[in-house]
Amino acid sequence: MRYILRNLGFYLLAFWASITLNFMLPRFMPGDPVSRMFARSQSQMQPEQIDQLRRLFGLDNRPMWQQYTDYIKDICTGNMGISISRFPTPVSEVIASQIGWTLLLGGTALVVAVVIGNLLGIIAAWRRGGLLDSVFPPLLVFAGSFPYFWLAMGALYLFGMTLGWFPMRHAFDVGLSPELSWGFVSNAASHLFLPALTIVLVSIGGWMLGMRNTMIATVAEDYITMAEAKGLSPSRIMFRYAARNAMLPSVTNFGMALGFVVGGALLTEVVFAYPGVGFQLLAAVQGLDYPLMQGIFLTITAAVLVANFLVDLVYVRLDPRVRVR
Amino acid sequence: MAPSIRARRLRPAALAAPVAAAALLLTGCSGTGTNTAGDTSGHQLLTVPREDFATFTRNFNPFAPGQVVAPMTTQAIYEAMLVYNPANGKATPWLATSWETSKDGRTVTFTLRHGVKWSDGKPLTAADVAYTFGLQKKLLGGYEYLRAVKAEGTDKVVFSLTKPYSPGLFELGKQIIVPEHVWAKVKDPAKDTNPDPVGSGPYTQVANFQSQSYELRKNPEYWQPKKQRIDGIRVLGFSGNDSANLAFVNGEADWTQSFIPEVDKSFVAKDPEHNKYWYPKTGSMVDWTMNTTRAPFDDVKVRKALSLAVDRESVTEVGMNGYTRPADCTGLSGGYDKWRDKTLADSCTWTKHDAAAAAKALDDAGYKKGSDGKRKLKNGKPFTFDISVGSASSDWLSVANIIKQNLAGIGVTANVKSPDWAAVVSDYETGDYDTGIVWSDNGATPFQFYRTTMGTDSVKPAGTKTVSNYHRFGDKRADALLDRFAAATDEAGQRDAIDGLQKLFADEAPVVPLFPGPEWGAYTDTRFTGWPTEDNPYATLTNRGDTTVLVLTGLKPVKN
Repeated sequence: MRYILRNLGFYLLAFWASITLNFMLPRFMPGDPVSRMFARSQSQMQPEQIDQLRRLFGLDNRPMWQQYTDYIKDICTGNMGISISRFPTPVSEVIASQIGWTLLLGGTALVVAVVIGNLLGIIAAWRRGGLLDSVFPPLLVFAGSFPYFWLAMGALYLFGMTLGWFPMRHAFDVGLSPELSWGFVSNAASHLFLPALTIVLVSIGGWMLGMRNTMIATVAEDYITMAEAKGLSPSRIMFRYAARNAMLPSVTNFGMALGFVVGGALLTEVVFAYPGVGFQLLAAVQGLDYPLMQGIFLTITAAVLVANFLVDLVYVRLDPRVRVR
Repeated sequence: MAPSIRARRLRPAALAAPVAAAALLLTGCSGTGTNTAGDTSGHQLLTVPREDFATFTRNFNPFAPGQVVAPMTTQAIYEAMLVYNPANGKATPWLATSWETSKDGRTVTFTLRHGVKWSDGKPLTAADVAYTFGLQKKLLGGYEYLRAVKAEGTDKVVFSLTKPYSPGLFELGKQIIVPEHVWAKVKDPAKDTNPDPVGSGPYTQVANFQSQSYELRKNPEYWQPKKQRIDGIRVLGFSGNDSANLAFVNGEADWTQSFIPEVDKSFVAKDPEHNKYWYPKTGSMVDWTMNTTRAPFDDVKVRKALSLAVDRESVTEVGMNGYTRPADCTGLSGGYDKWRDKTLADSCTWTKHDAAAAAKALDDAGYKKGSDGKRKLKNGKPFTFDISVGSASSDWLSVANIIKQNLAGIGVTANVKSPDWAAVVSDYETGDYDTGIVWSDNGATPFQFYRTTMGTDSVKPAGTKTVSNYHRFGDKRADALLDRFAAATDEAGQRDAIDGLQKLFADEAPVVPLFPGPEWGAYTDTRFTGWPTEDNPYATLTNRGDTTVLVLTGLKPVKN
C-alpha cells in the first residue's frame, strides 16, 4: 500500500511538470494562430481578414502568468477551451470525435504485436536454436528497420491498389454510418486490417527479441532445472515458471506503449487517410492551435501516467519482491 | 493485496488475441471496395476530395474562416448577390439581378431577384441582406468604407459609402447572405457551429455526416431548380495530397484542386479521353519580394538588375512544372488581362532574362565585382542575401533555387532559407528578412494588388507588424492614382488610373513579379459533363472559390 501511495505522489508531481511543459512549449514557437492560417491559405485570404479573425478568435493578450493560472484552473475543471484550427468546436469534442479510431487502431495493433511477439519470443527461447529462433528474429528486425512510411506505402500499393484485397482509405466505406451491425463492423475491420498490419510488422520484432532475450536468461535459472527435475510438463514450466518471470520488462514496455497509443499514429493516418488524433496533433502544431495542442498533450500525458500506474499495480501482483520493498 | 496471480489466468487472454486477429483476417478478405467510379445511374453524387481536411467537424458557420468551416459552405449552401469570374472577367448576377452606382459614387443600390427562397421556404428579402452586413461587421469588422445598409422594400438594398469607392462594388456583391430569421435567434453567432444550415444555395441539405465524408443534397426550395441537375455533392477528407490524389487518379472522385505533380503522366495518360485539367493563370501574382527597408533593395536599379538576371522561362517550366507562364513588368496576373497595357508589357525589358544586361546594370549602379569574382555592396561588404521560402512549398523552393543559380552567374550570392512557413511569414510580417517568394493580393480589379504593392497607406515601418506590403514600398504618385480609381464611376476613368499604375509599377519595380499563380483544377468527365474549359471559361476550376457555384449549377450527370 505504501508503495502505491508513494508512487501516486510521484505521479502527481510528474503530471504537474508535464502540464507546465505543455503550457510553455507551444508558446516558444514563432508567429500566432492567425498569421499561420494566413500563411497556409496564401493569397486565398485578404489581409483585412487577418484582423477580422483575430477579432473572431478573441486571441489571448493576457499576461503569461495569468494565462498559466487560468490554464491550471481549466485543467482541474476539465475545461480545455475552444479549438482554433477547428473553431468554434470545443477541444474536448475534437479529441472525442477522433480518439475512438486512434484507440481502435493503436490498441489493436499493440495488443496483436505484444501477444504474438511475446509468444514467439517465449517459444523461440524455449526451443533455442530451432527453426523459429533462427528465422524469425532476423526477419522481423529486418521488417522493423524499414522506414515505416515506405512500408505502409508499399503495403497500400500491393494489397490495396494492385491486388485490391483491402480498401485503400478511411475507417469505413463512404455512405455507411457507424452502427452495431455485422455489416458495419466487418467493413470497419476490413479498413482497419492494413493500417494495423503495417504497425504490427514494424513493432513486433522488438517485442519478440526483448522477450526472447529475457526468457533465455530465465530458462538458465536453477528453479527451472528444479522444475524439470520434479517432472513438470514442459508447457507448464515454459509458461508458468519461465515466461511469467521473463515477462516483467515486457509488461513495463506494454504499459508505456499503451499510454502512447493515445497520441495517435501520424504516419499511418497520413498514408491510409485513417482518422485519428495524430493528424489532429500535427494540424494543431502547424496551426499553432494552443488549446487543441494542450488538450492532446494533456490526454497523452494523462494516458501515459495512468498506464504506468496500472503497470505498477500489475507489478505488485506479478512480482512479490515489489511488495516487500 | 491478494497473493500472486496464477499464470493460468493469463492464458485465456493470451489466446483471445490471435483469435481476434484471425477473425480480422477473415473479415478483411471479405471487405469490398469503396469504388463508386462506375456509377452513371444519373443519381451519382459529385465527389470532391479535400486534401486539406483529414477529418470534418460539423461546422457550417459561414462566418468562420475557410480552413475551419466545412467545405462547400459558402459555395453550395450560401450565395452572394453576384459572382465574379476572373477567368473571363465577368460578373454574373446571382441573388441580385442588377446593381447601380450613383453619380457621386457614394451610393450603391442592388436589386434582388424575385422569388428566391431560403431552404426552409421563407422568402429572401432585402432585410436579410441588410442584416447580413450588420452581422458581418459586428463579428468580423471590415467594410470601413460602408456607412449604412438600408433595405428599401423587399427587393432593394441601398449601401451608403463614406467616400466614392468603386472597388467596393464587387466586395459588397460577393458577400454571402444569411437568413435573418435564423441568425437573429442564434445566441453567439461567432461560436455557433450551425449544424443544420438554412441557405439559398443549390445544395443545402446535410446528409450522412461522418468525420471523413458527408453529403449535401438538393435544396428543395432552390430558385433555379432546372440547374440542380446533379443529385448532390459528396465531400471526402484526406490528410494530404498523396492520399487525395490516389483516390482521384483512381477515378473515385470527380473534381480536385490538390497539386498533382506531372499531371499529364500521372493523371491524363490513364484515360486521355476523360481525364482533363485546366490551370487558368488567374491566381494571385507570385513575386520575388525584396525588403526595401534594407540596402541594396531600396535601389530600384538593383531590383531591376536582379529581375533581369532571373530566367523566368526555367522558373515556370522547371520550378512550376510548366503550369504557369512568366510575368511581365505590369505585375498583373492573368485575371486582369482586360486591364493590361499590352504596349507597355511588350516594351519594357526588366522582366526578360538577360544576364549580360543584368551584370552591366549592376556595374553601372556601382556594385562592382571584387577580385574573387563576387560583387560587393557600396559599403564594401559582399553582395549576399537570403531568399526565404516556407519549407512546405516544394515548387516555390525550386523556384528560389533557380533564382539562386541565375544570380551566381552574375556574381551575386543568394542563400535559400526554408524554415516552416509560419516562421517565414512571421519574419515577413515584422520586416526581418532580405527577400522572399511571396504571393500578392488578388481582387476583382487590379486595385487591391496595386494598393498593397505601392500604396503608402499599406506601408508600415520595419519592426511594426504588417499583413500586406511585406516589401514596405509606398509612392505618393500611386496614392493619387488609386484615389482616382476609387472615385471613378465609369470604366474609362478606372482604366485611365490603372494605366497610370501599370506605368508606375514598370518604372519603380516595387516587387519583382515572377509568374501568375495557376488556379489548380482537374476533373474527370466520366460521371459529369459540362465543366468549364479554356474554350468555355464560364468559371475557373476551383472547388473552393467564388465561382464554384457556377460549376455546381452547370454540371450534368452522365446517365447510361
